Amino acid sequence: MDFGAIHEYLPLYRDALFLTMRIGWQGILLAFVIGLAATIILHFRIPVLRQLTSFYIELFRNTPLLVQLFFIYFALPKVGLRITPALCGMVGLGLLGGAYMAETFRSGLENVPLIQSESAASLGMSRMQAFRYVVLPQAVSSSIPGLVANVIFLLKETSVFSTVSLMDLMFTAKDLIGMYAKTVECLFLLVVFYLIMLLPVSILGSIVERRMRRAEFGS
Amino acid sequence: MKKQTKAALFGLTLALTSALSMTAFAGDSDKVYRTVDEIKESGTINIGVFSDKSPFGYVDENGDYQGYDVYLGNQIGKDLGVDINYVSTEAANRVEYLKTGKVDIILANFTVTPERAEEVDFALPYMNVALGVVSPDDHVITSLDQIGKDDQVIVISGTTAETYLVKNNPEIKLQKYDAYAEAKTAFENGSGVAWANDNTEVIAFANENPGYTVGIPSLGSNDTIAPAVSKGNDSLLNWLNDEIVSLGKDNFFHKDYEETLLDTYGKDYEDTLVIEGGQPAEASTEAEAAAAETEAATEAE
Repeated sequence: MDFGAIHEYLPLYRDALFLTMRIGWQGILLAFVIGLAATIILHFRIPVLRQLTSFYIELFRNTPLLVQLFFIYFALPKVGLRITPALCGMVGLGLLGGAYMAETFRSGLENVPLIQSESAASLGMSRMQAFRYVVLPQAVSSSIPGLVANVIFLLKETSVFSTVSLMDLMFTAKDLIGMYAKTVECLFLLVVFYLIMLLPVSILGSIVERRMRRAEFGS
Repeated sequence: MKKQTKAALFGLTLALTSALSMTAFAGDSDKVYRTVDEIKESGTINIGVFSDKSPFGYVDENGDYQGYDVYLGNQIGKDLGVDINYVSTEAANRVEYLKTGKVDIILANFTVTPERAEEVDFALPYMNVALGVVSPDDHVITSLDQIGKDDQVIVISGTTAETYLVKNNPEIKLQKYDAYAEAKTAFENGSGVAWANDNTEVIAFANENPGYTVGIPSLGSNDTIAPAVSKGNDSLLNWLNDEIVSLGKDNFFHKDYEETLLDTYGKDYEDTLVIEGGQPAEASTEAEAAAAETEAATEAE
């Protein structure tokens, strides 16, 4: 191991980490918004939108992120819509994640027994109130493990950003290997930086999960 | 070596502490390459070429590898009396493919540089090259000073153009791509103000695509392109050097040019580009320098 090289590359990896995190989290935030919107559309069976949403979910769950990014970044400019690599990464991640988040929310909603909303209705709650105060909290709590898994999955998916010239962690490592051929050092740093990015998410995820579950079952 | 590297990577993901010792293990240099005799015995040679860099190494409409590099590859296979297995490579993978023994020879428009000569062994050169910069007709860039501080220049990761700009013009913002095809599409989409690459490549691009001009036809030093083998594979290196010298007696590389490059570059570039028998026309010392680059680089260390 050439520790001089590692020292020299550290700032580049740090920049890449910040870029990956920034675009990753923006994309994940977008994914949450899209996922929630899609879930509500599906749950309340809003006509037309429901069919469109189902189509969107199947489209993005069954194509790789790489293909989606290629399409957004290389094909859309041909019809006059050019977006920056960073925006492309964020939108791509948001659309892919939105489809996964919607499915996770849906399974959480299906987990809530029908009797819960019936009971809420018998107490005189409106459909919206029942959803907001009775069904959704239970659904969110039971989908937490799935959501955390999605977040980690999406952060790892950032490794295909290189295709749209974003200097994410993966591309930084490949680029440095191409220029200086310090393979072992570059790959070592790559693994370390992915762990720096993802371990806290995993740990935080399990803490959140425990807390949310306490709300569900009591401590 | 391959197995060890794999094991090392596996270890890395499992536990960082154990990984530290295992990577050191993988860093040990075992013999990864195959000698000429071993290649002949196996009956197949693995040659790394580009699959998307017309007219040097590309896949034609029938799915066959074609181009200036491949033409030489075919001859090498014929003269060794073995089948050829072409392995598609990206610019940034070339050194790695040799270091891990994935291929026996890299024939992927590999420019000889001192940095690379520390990692692989170059045979005698067969082509001249410099860097070039192509830009759209309505905003031709004829000097690097014209590139504004917010403008981005497209380069391909792992090429000499990237290394040159990183080293000599660190103020220029680079937009890096993995592969030729992606860089080309991005440039056509107008994602960058210019594209820096081997001048052979940008000249070919401007010839094939109206609306683009090579504003800077020659940037940096004049370099050569040569086949490369794994570090220490003297048996294959010597065989290749003999092969290139003997092919030069039949003007093989001019024939290669006429078969593969004439349509793109025309007659004018033939003597500028082709190196016959490992001896560049203008300075024969340059070829020796290139071949001796390996030794020079190790001595310099």
